[in-house]
Amino acid sequence: MPEEGEKEEMVTPGEVLGKAADLKAGKGAYVAPYRSSEIPYVFSSLTGLRHTLTPPSDSPDQRPTVEVIGHKARGAVPEAGSVVIARVTKVMAKTASADIMCVGTKSVREKFTGVIRQQDVRATEIDKVDMHLSFRPGDIVRAVVLSLGDARAYYLSTAKNELGVVSANSTAGETMVPISWMEMQCPLTRQIEQRKVAKVGS
Amino acid sequence: METKPSNGSPAKFVDQLVVPGDVILDLSTMAEQTIKLGGGLRQDCDAISVIKAGILRFSKPNKYWVESSQKRYVPCAEDSVLGIVVDCKPDNFLVDIKGPSVAFLPVLAFEGGTRRNIPRFEAGTLIYVRVVKANPGMNPELSCVDATGKAAQYGALKEGLMFECSTGLSRMLLSSPTCPVLETLGKKLPFEIAVGLNGRVWVMFFCCILFVTSVNLWDSVWT
Repeated sequence: MPEEGEKEEMVTPGEVLGKAADLKAGKGAYVAPYRSSEIPYVFSSLTGLRHTLTPPSDSPDQRPTVEVIGHKARGAVPEAGSVVIARVTKVMAKTASADIMCVGTKSVREKFTGVIRQQDVRATEIDKVDMHLSFRPGDIVRAVVLSLGDARAYYLSTAKNELGVVSANSTAGETMVPISWMEMQCPLTRQIEQRKVAKVGS
Repeated sequence: METKPSNGSPAKFVDQLVVPGDVILDLSTMAEQTIKLGGGLRQDCDAISVIKAGILRFSKPNKYWVESSQKRYVPCAEDSVLGIVVDCKPDNFLVDIKGPSVAFLPVLAFEGGTRRNIPRFEAGTLIYVRVVKANPGMNPELSCVDATGKAAQYGALKEGLMFECSTGLSRMLLSSPTCPVLETLGKKLPFEIAVGLNGRVWVMFFCCILFVTSVNLWDSVWT
């Protein structure tokens, strides 16, 4: 049921949304000259529903913003500053790779890779960190996204008390119990293994 | 039904052939003490059981491990091995040491190594190196300096002949007192030998004799 003033129409990439003199381009739209003429128009760059946002009354530019919300993008996407849950896939000398599984409370639809560098594991004595004593392949960690990183992976950080390994299995295969911020213990064999443990609870 | 093994039973198994499934220690019958387990042994709650066939060894005060001989090498810290350089990266050389994954040799891990005098190893160079770190799941880390920082014979090996053998034969060639084969050969001919615990041996003779034949004979007799 369309609300008054809003047109819920489906647009495709390249479709004209209006003149640039009348509209500002928001998310999913861009400004380009119309064919060979010099007049700029606003075009859509995604397939989805078109939304018009009214500008705040105190801004000098009173043009409404038009944006296109892609109808397929429903899964969560990690942004800088969001807390994610990831599973460690590979531990190397100076970095650990992890597959991001949840962003906040929503699970992701497609695979995102994150990398935890040696200097981002904890806040103190960052050059003495041993990656093998902080993470192992298969651990579930809670981390915060530092930035979008490079083309291959997001940069993650566990340098806070509440970030780090949340759940891990011992070499005997049993889920371990955390006993301090550095150690976890296997309930079957009583062996202690070292991890960068997250502080859970208040 | 067998009675529970007493404290003295691990001695029954030491230096004997054990097979996977043998329980060599029952922790519930022993007093509070620390026991170190090496390769081939696993802890199942209170029982220490064997997971690899071989000879059980014990070293004072409290270390047990299973020694077996095979063609495959499992990297272990502080082993001296012979590696073949596979590739050069900006920070590391990639070296094949016959293990499950390729090992990294940092370019600065040489005596007096700085960014200006990085050695040029081409792919295929044979090097004698020491394993520094060998964690399961991670690529092993190597070094061409010993623990004190000296070069100590580590580095590239030029000329000579390299051949592969089992890990048991390498350990036997390195055992002390000196292996009889090496002693008798040394009395007749001067030679240089480097034995890697990963099953690779390099020899250099100063004249041409078929050393390989005698060692292959030894290998087939003893392993």
